[in-house]
Amino acid sequence: MTLGLLLSLLFTGPVDSARATQPPMLPALLSVALERRLADRLGAGVGDTIAIGLDAGGTGRRAVVAAVYEPAADPSAITKREYYLRLHLPDLAALLGAPDRVDRFGVGLLPGARPGTATEALNEVAFGFRAYPSAEIASESSQTFRVVSRFHEAIAVISVVASAIFLLCIMLLKVEERRRDAAVMRFTGISRRTIFSALLLEAILVAALGSVIGVGLAIAASAVTNLYYQHFFDTTLVFSIVTPAIIRFSVLLSIGLGLLAGSLAAWRLIRTNPMILWGRG
Amino acid sequence: MNPVRNLLRHPIRTGLAIAGIMVTTAMLLDMVLLSGGIERSFERLLLGRGFQVRVSPKGTLPFDTEATIPGARGVRAVMLSDSAVVAAGPLLGASLYARRTDTLVTLFGYGVDPVAQAIYQLDDGRDLAPADSTGVLLSQASSTLLGAGIGDTVTLVARLDPQAAVAAVERRLVVRGIVHFLYDYKGQPSVAALLPLMQDLARRRTEDRVSAFVVKIRDDASLAATTERLRAALPALEINSVGDMLAHFRERLVYFRQLSYILGTISLGVTVLLVATLMTITVNERLGEIATLRAIGVSQGSIVRGVMVEGGTLTLIGGSLGVLLGVLTAEYLDRILTAFPGLPAAISFFVPEPRSLLVAALVLVLTGILAGAYPALLAARAPIAATLRSDAT
Repeated sequence: MTLGLLLSLLFTGPVDSARATQPPMLPALLSVALERRLADRLGAGVGDTIAIGLDAGGTGRRAVVAAVYEPAADPSAITKREYYLRLHLPDLAALLGAPDRVDRFGVGLLPGARPGTATEALNEVAFGFRAYPSAEIASESSQTFRVVSRFHEAIAVISVVASAIFLLCIMLLKVEERRRDAAVMRFTGISRRTIFSALLLEAILVAALGSVIGVGLAIAASAVTNLYYQHFFDTTLVFSIVTPAIIRFSVLLSIGLGLLAGSLAAWRLIRTNPMILWGRG
Repeated sequence: MNPVRNLLRHPIRTGLAIAGIMVTTAMLLDMVLLSGGIERSFERLLLGRGFQVRVSPKGTLPFDTEATIPGARGVRAVMLSDSAVVAAGPLLGASLYARRTDTLVTLFGYGVDPVAQAIYQLDDGRDLAPADSTGVLLSQASSTLLGAGIGDTVTLVARLDPQAAVAAVERRLVVRGIVHFLYDYKGQPSVAALLPLMQDLARRRTEDRVSAFVVKIRDDASLAATTERLRAALPALEINSVGDMLAHFRERLVYFRQLSYILGTISLGVTVLLVATLMTITVNERLGEIATLRAIGVSQGSIVRGVMVEGGTLTLIGGSLGVLLGVLTAEYLDRILTAFPGLPAAISFFVPEPRSLLVAALVLVLTGILAGAYPALLAARAPIAATLRSDAT
């Protein structure tokens, strides 16, 4: 979306303006917007007056709550549990004793303008600041989530391996449990092929039934996880999603392993002497 | 009832069960290491220089925000007036620049009192003297970035004015030493200079502002009481002992702790299911043999013991292999998690501790033995005559 490509100028430090020689001018009553969690914490609502200041021990400035807002859910901020409020830029600058100073600018480009070219042009003349395309900032700031994502993937691989071995083992035991039945079927003249198919079908059915129950458990666990963490962090973030792709992968893996284990075990059974299966070999 | 011989009767199923236990043990081990590893790692880092208390602006943790503490000298005097306080070191963090040929490079600057600091260790050269207003310490990363070594002169600049294209402050400093900043992330280009110099660069001198203090208490026994006294004396500041810091840290890492508990419990559950299922089926297959043993006078207790030892053996073999696998996977997972941006390079997520490892091992072996309890009871309670008759037909 070329039109919407915002170019953020991130400054490596606050930027002074040469013209910024005016002493800070603060209105008698500031106007602020409180994040909903902060409003809850303070028990303050629109129209209430609060005191804000730079130091906890200071007297602070009086400010009227003009709005209470629900911030966009941000995964990077939830564990910090910080509270936010918004002020008009000149008010905050004056409060900080740093008039006409900012941390960063967001710059909108004309349709068709390339962010990379624009940042290069800006950086050529930059002194005390640096321009970055929004995409680069987004990529940089999503590093944390990429790390968490890689960790989850690694844990998932270990879990899948453990589950696969467990499933193989159970299916093998399940089929081997039918040794005597297989022996009886062989004694009564049922073909090896039919016995193999019957045992295999049974293994697939068990795996399919287990998969359905497993998917149900996963959906329930996901819902509980979301309920718990949304309450715990007081956020609307979604922590766990069971996607169709995940269901598809899990079910296919489960049935595939059931098929493999069932085939192996059934193959061993039909190749074994029925007398041995009966325990008399 | 030789457990190993019994297990070898069915090599495939035993092999699969051992593989399953191995992977679940590896998972359990990793989760035990993860559940408290980073806290221990963080604690070691915090106590590395012997300072047990951190002081920061109210409602914040050190360097968590850009908030600062005004009147640092006064605050320090209040802290030092407590007889239990041995040292109180002010610390200011600021973003600044250094000239490299005709370009500026961004650095992170620490303003310190070299006599009472907890953020760096000297690797090479010498430390700053208390009145050394022309010296600077570089991290290895900043030394490389600036191409400067011990004895070289570097120029630090700050308060840049983009419109006039000038720097309001510029200081030429001599590199006294190369240090290792304890809280830096990997490759962070940092420098340290005396606090007043850094306050000048960061425009924090007028109000004598600092980011935090580190405080050393005479003895650990008086830590809690001293922390309380400091809180009472300085109510506008956040005063945390290392224990309090760990509690805050634990709260932030609650996700990893809970994840480790959940996955650890699931691992144990899978081990129980695996061992119990395998042993139940094995016992069912050997009911005739067990009944024969009972018929010739082998006691119920011996049968129960034999089956439980078999379960324990299975768990022990799988568990031992699982520990090796767990150590390897922990290293891999640690490499992933320590890539968190901004995380101090000294922090590790998976830290082995003998006590927790021992507890995990005991829990695992007990789990294996208990998982064999149900099949063992089945074996012991099998009616001898009926089982033998059924086996004979």
